[in-house]
Amino acid sequence: MSPIKKELPPYTEFTFDMFMTSAGKDHAEITQFNQWRKQVLAADMYTFQIPHLGAQRPEVSVKRVSGEELDLISFANYNYLGYSYHPEVLAAAKQALDVYGLGATGSPILNGTFQIHELLEDKIIAFFGMPGYGVSLFSSGYGANLGVVSSYVHKGDYVVLDRLSHASLVDGAVLSQATIKLFKHNDVDHLDRVLSRLDYKKSRILVCTEGVYSADGDTGHISDIVRVAKKYGAAVLDDEAHSLLIAGKNGRGVAEEQGVLEEVDMIIATFSKSFGGVGGCLYARESVTNYVNWYARSRMFSCALDPAVTGGLIKALELAAGPDGKAKRERIRSNADYMRSKLQDHVDIGSSHSWIIPIIYGDEHISIPLSDYLQRKGLDTSLMAFPAVPKNQSRIRLFVTSEHTREQLDKGAEVIIKAAEEFGFLLKERQT
Amino acid sequence: MTNQKNKEGLIVWHFDYAFTTFYEIETKAVEHLVQKPLIPIEVAPGVSLLSLIAFNFPEGALGTLPEFQELTLSLIVTPDLSRGVPKSAMYILSLGSTNQEHLDHCVSYYKLPVYGQFTRVNIQRDTHAVEYEDSNGPILAMKNVHPRPEFSKGEHYFQAFVEDAGDIYVADVIMKGSLFEHQQAGEAGKLWPHPFFRGIDLDGAEPLVFMQMLHKPGSRGQQFYPRPEKFT
Repeated sequence: MSPIKKELPPYTEFTFDMFMTSAGKDHAEITQFNQWRKQVLAADMYTFQIPHLGAQRPEVSVKRVSGEELDLISFANYNYLGYSYHPEVLAAAKQALDVYGLGATGSPILNGTFQIHELLEDKIIAFFGMPGYGVSLFSSGYGANLGVVSSYVHKGDYVVLDRLSHASLVDGAVLSQATIKLFKHNDVDHLDRVLSRLDYKKSRILVCTEGVYSADGDTGHISDIVRVAKKYGAAVLDDEAHSLLIAGKNGRGVAEEQGVLEEVDMIIATFSKSFGGVGGCLYARESVTNYVNWYARSRMFSCALDPAVTGGLIKALELAAGPDGKAKRERIRSNADYMRSKLQDHVDIGSSHSWIIPIIYGDEHISIPLSDYLQRKGLDTSLMAFPAVPKNQSRIRLFVTSEHTREQLDKGAEVIIKAAEEFGFLLKERQT
Repeated sequence: MTNQKNKEGLIVWHFDYAFTTFYEIETKAVEHLVQKPLIPIEVAPGVSLLSLIAFNFPEGALGTLPEFQELTLSLIVTPDLSRGVPKSAMYILSLGSTNQEHLDHCVSYYKLPVYGQFTRVNIQRDTHAVEYEDSNGPILAMKNVHPRPEFSKGEHYFQAFVEDAGDIYVADVIMKGSLFEHQQAGEAGKLWPHPFFRGIDLDGAEPLVFMQMLHKPGSRGQQFYPRPEKFT
């Protein structure tokens, strides 16, 4: 056992699920959570919600709670293709800001839709290139999944979720009031068994999967899932949040890569990742998007997309659909492969073969000191611990981008390996 | 943040074997078994947790009792964090043992919902596998699925709720020992439909293993279990 593990302070014994709820009227969970947070702050170990002082570039500056400013190499943001600070994207956003003002100030179905929104819809439809399809825009990716799932299925129907589904899909399923069933992650045989037990001849069923899962960086087995779902007359929703503009020959996602773009019933895109902005959309047959535009409550009762962001998204999509996107797609894959090659002999990187690389350190109780250590050694990272992942499977997640240089990747790998030595999660220690 | 004190009526139970498995079960199959304000904790929408704890108490572990084995069935419920922050809160649904005197004590002292006496218990310490049965047939076969448990000394705080004559009682329980917990997937045995499970539809619910907690075989552990106090 490493010396750090032996000397863990008392606040490390708690995991965040332990403060989620309490019986009784006094909201003791709020009191206990704040007491815990205060202890972490007092130890100057609080690395959560730390303000960044500039754009989400590969190198960022942050300000800790103590006021200390740190320069870090960022492996924590989803700005996979660097479009959030691309000069042409920013120029397009500024131009839209001048024309349309700061906010849309209304629901998209009422007065909040601008011409620039329609332009973005047309660009997305053209990007996928399938006739008869439409787009429904949402002001967040979370809102897209929430609204689409809850408007597509209802009480009496079924939503069948992969066990590792994103919270937005889970919440959409809960909001729909449909019966929720879970299948083991990417396990199509289990999915088959789950579907076979439903009253599938008389019931509507929606099966949800994802392009790339952010906990492990693995891809959804979409083609197999589609095959099994269709056997039972179920519709398939594919959330390509972490893969659109990157996976597939033309960046149309893992569904394109696996040759089932036309078989998937609904594709969800998130604009806060490879697009570099914020928002999300549904891409599906026009009859479906027309309906969702009216009946998705997270769209109807939410303000339309911010016009400046919309202008930037249009430019990001234009770039991603052209030679710039092709070059960035090659670079992000090459960077991810390079990073894996630097790490795989030293630490457990799981089954990742995408631009998300988990480094499994195991014991959730070292998460807070480890996060603090990584930050102080110059890395901005994203840790994921139990109960978000199974016990003893806690991990640092590295989000590699097309914009990282080899020097930045080298430095990142060096700090990770050093951390593994200090905290006792080198590959040879995890295997014994 | 954990307020467990040396309360009056505290009994220290010495055990030399403990093995817990948390099984996933559909909430609708178990929610009727719990009294408000307690509700089952869900690990996914519509999915709650049943806990089965197997103990071996050696001779002399409690007064003059001979060696005996125990099995407890609980539902994981909302804790009361004003008492402290437990690892989990259990609503005890059923308890059986190989010793009648122990069962009588559990009823009178802890207000535990006693099922009855087992006729056969088999504990394989080297493989962490247990089997329980009685005259109604087999109850469960439960085994560890982790290939390399790494035990470390620890102390965990739990809340144990019981219902007696319409009232809920709670006890702050502490377990000390050489412990290991994991969420390794695998074939962890079988639960048979049996009166011990108090009418829970195990066939329909098809329980899956969520987590297992092991105590190092051959080492001694302690359970600090005070007399429960009225909760509502």
